[in-house]
Amino acid sequence: MINLPNDFYLNLIFAFILFFLGLYCLLSMRNLIKLLIGIEVIAKGVTLALISASSVKGLILTGQSLVITFIVVEVCAIAVALALVINLYRHTGSLDVKKLTKLRG
Amino acid sequence: MQELYLISLCALAFFSVLAVLLKDLLKAALSLMAASVFLAVVLFFMKAYYAGVFEISVVAGLITVLFVSTIGLTRGDDFKESKLPVYIFPLFFIWFIIIDILIMYLLLSKMPPLTKWVAEPGKFGNVFWQKRTFDLLAQIGIIFAGVFSVLALFRKRDKND
Repeated sequence: MINLPNDFYLNLIFAFILFFLGLYCLLSMRNLIKLLIGIEVIAKGVTLALISASSVKGLILTGQSLVITFIVVEVCAIAVALALVINLYRHTGSLDVKKLTKLRG
Repeated sequence: MQELYLISLCALAFFSVLAVLLKDLLKAALSLMAASVFLAVVLFFMKAYYAGVFEISVVAGLITVLFVSTIGLTRGDDFKESKLPVYIFPLFFIWFIIIDILIMYLLLSKMPPLTKWVAEPGKFGNVFWQKRTFDLLAQIGIIFAGVFSVLALFRKRDKND
């Protein structure tokens, strides 16, 4: 199968790449749905890092239970965020974050 | 087998790049789904079968449905992203990959050698239901919080609102 100790660093490289992609999306995009897609990409990087670290330490079952908890939290956060996006769209008619200026003091 | 594993990792990164850079939101959501499927394949290679199944069913399935529904409900918006982030992306990406590989190379020389893969004793059910019981309670709380938040956001408006 896979030579996990050597692949651990490879997995970490890809986890960091996914984290960078998500962060780039969060920093450079203005569309609200695109921002949520960026958060999802970061979550994929975190999942990959968690499972690689747990498998290299011989704690794959604990790592999997942590990942399942993480996925549940992720789904709830995305569901609430998308509901917020729909409500904001109904109020402002746009998905542009720069148009959300009504909360300014 | 090792080649298939590497291809899955590269496909995961590729579809994540597409999800970030594609202008069409529907295509971006579908790319995210493809990235989830490849992440699940990587998890299967690492013998994390339960996490892989969750990744496919919940992240690739449920979250994609949520994204596609939201995109369908907000279709009237003609707002387009600027092209600048797409043009400068390769520059940042190559710069980041070089730094990432350099850091990993430095870490490799300083970290102790890792042992061979050892299976964790016990069954997944025992670990999930007995050792991580508090996580389960927290999950139930989070699910209720999510459901009530969505209900509150979509409630019918009163005349006073």
